[in-house]
Amino acid sequence: MKKEGYKSVKRMTPAMRTIHWVNFFSMIVAIATGLYIGHPYYQSFIADPAVDKYVMAWNRWGHFMVAIIFDVTSIIVAYLYFFSRFEQPWRKVIPTKQNIKEFFEVLLNLLTLNRRKNFDSSHADSFNTVYFTIFHILLAWMLLTGLQLYVHGLASGESSIGAWWPWMLHVATDWTIPVTGGTLMDVRISHHYTMWFIIVWVIFHIYYQVWRTIYWREGDIAIAFGGEKFVKEQKEA
Amino acid sequence: MGIDKHDSVKSLFTAQSAKVNTNRGDAYYEKLYAQCRARLDELKALAPLNNRMDFKESIEEEGLDRRDFMKWASATTAMLMLPASFTPLVAEAAVLMNRVPVIWIELQDCAGNTEALIRSDGPKIDEIILDIISLEFNETLMAAAGHQAEKQLEDAVEHFKGKYLLFVEGSVPMGMDGYYGTIGANGETFIDHLTRLAKDAAAVVAVGSCATFGGIPAAAPNPTDAKGVMDVVKGKPIINIPACPANPSNMVGVILHYVLTGGIPELDSLLRPKFAFGYRIHDNCERRAHFDAGEFVEEWGDEGAKNNFCLYKVGCKGPMTFNNCSIVRYNEGVNWPVGVGRGCIGCSEPDFWDKYAYERPMANANIKAPTGGVEKSVDEFGLGLLTAAGVGIAIHAAASAVAGKKSEEN
Repeated sequence: MKKEGYKSVKRMTPAMRTIHWVNFFSMIVAIATGLYIGHPYYQSFIADPAVDKYVMAWNRWGHFMVAIIFDVTSIIVAYLYFFSRFEQPWRKVIPTKQNIKEFFEVLLNLLTLNRRKNFDSSHADSFNTVYFTIFHILLAWMLLTGLQLYVHGLASGESSIGAWWPWMLHVATDWTIPVTGGTLMDVRISHHYTMWFIIVWVIFHIYYQVWRTIYWREGDIAIAFGGEKFVKEQKEA
Repeated sequence: MGIDKHDSVKSLFTAQSAKVNTNRGDAYYEKLYAQCRARLDELKALAPLNNRMDFKESIEEEGLDRRDFMKWASATTAMLMLPASFTPLVAEAAVLMNRVPVIWIELQDCAGNTEALIRSDGPKIDEIILDIISLEFNETLMAAAGHQAEKQLEDAVEHFKGKYLLFVEGSVPMGMDGYYGTIGANGETFIDHLTRLAKDAAAVVAVGSCATFGGIPAAAPNPTDAKGVMDVVKGKPIINIPACPANPSNMVGVILHYVLTGGIPELDSLLRPKFAFGYRIHDNCERRAHFDAGEFVEEWGDEGAKNNFCLYKVGCKGPMTFNNCSIVRYNEGVNWPVGVGRGCIGCSEPDFWDKYAYERPMANANIKAPTGGVEKSVDEFGLGLLTAAGVGIAIHAAASAVAGKKSEEN
């Protein structure tokens, strides 16, 4: 249902939207289980025989499962970032004159409470793309620190899928130990901190998309669901 | 971590710590067997050094028979990750341990590792072995003092140049040109003392967490700028045996390995022997099933504690700690920290006092280190950040509601 004088623009492909919601659910599960792994915040019934409760194990199972799903979507996102046929976000992040101008115009739009809007809001803008890029860097950091913590349990150098897997994890993630401060605990603390940064990121992300929807009146919130938003038809266009 | 930055990055990327290889194939072990055989024959030809104790007599005096000794030998063979066929060689090597000179020095420490070495519930085979090694110098144990002691040290270094194992206990204070710690009548700093003795050693064995990573003296705010041996000694093979105190079994293991093969055991990226530090405490813990079941001790002495539940919620750091305590235990397998009902404090990991040794889960460690160290509670910080973001959003939302301008509808 299009309003008179508005045209719809496609902003997210079905694949992008699928990834968005897979990430959404993965993140909720990862946070709920991750907090339990860090500090088991609910208790199992003491009278139940141990064989019936496998609480920590299920939490870890869930955490690692969504982590692996997260990892896979991250790889897909990283690929699309550069090679998507729809929209290649890296083009919006490189600091060209136009991108820098757009970044600050969008920021000013937010800060002036939509009193100033000197950019084309029909396509993905530089500000949001930079913001999404930060998210994926945080996720990549979670991936690296998380896999480093995970590989500790594979001390024998073997895994159910072969020795290459722990070997690869060591090669790919051992550097996070010196980078975070030199001990395994530093990696863990960094993993925990990053969770909070991601939660803060999510809070602003949701707020900002809702805010755009309310003040821009272009149906931005619908992008994540239907893949489209609406913009006023330009007179000359 | 103290290893030179370039080296440490390099060693991390080689992923040496990735795999504990307990089966290297027949060809490898046959070659090693021949090598050990030759080495033992060579040692046997040598006369015992100054130590007059005879191993067989010592064992008999303590009321242990040969069967006990062979049981020990097969357990030690397994600990060193060698096939069972090496058991007779290990037994032989134990008897020949008085052919290898050991110089033991103490730096900034509490003598806890010496205590671990000499005291236990009763002298068992590990302790007897450590009694009969040719300990040429040890401040705590020797009768000599002052100039006499120094003379003895000089003699030992001179006599066994390039042959002795230098055991170091305690950290090295680097601050104030090293004058936080001096030794002897000449006031030689620990730095000079260590570098001088390390120069003529066959290998340096850092014993205990202080000597390996700086340990408690290096905890925040580290007033003496304490460092581990590997940060000070360069160009010598270094073996780290951390833990507070180090397990005598692992000391015996390293010496035995040297006697047996003439070389040092395979090390991980923190220079710890893989045979002892290749596995996580957590993965061989007797309470692991309770961890998986979510059965935790909630507070000391509760019903869970009586049922030997997992100590994770009262701060056990077993999941972050690599050591063989849960396998070999202490005092000849009598018991170990988790076994007596208190969590692991990660004493064999770098920076353990600041980063591991609080008796709460990591997410609940409310200790604030004076140097702005690690124990600032992550959750407090995160919640603060979240609140700040929330407040910012609320202000922006309120301002938008009051003064915002909606784009015109048409």
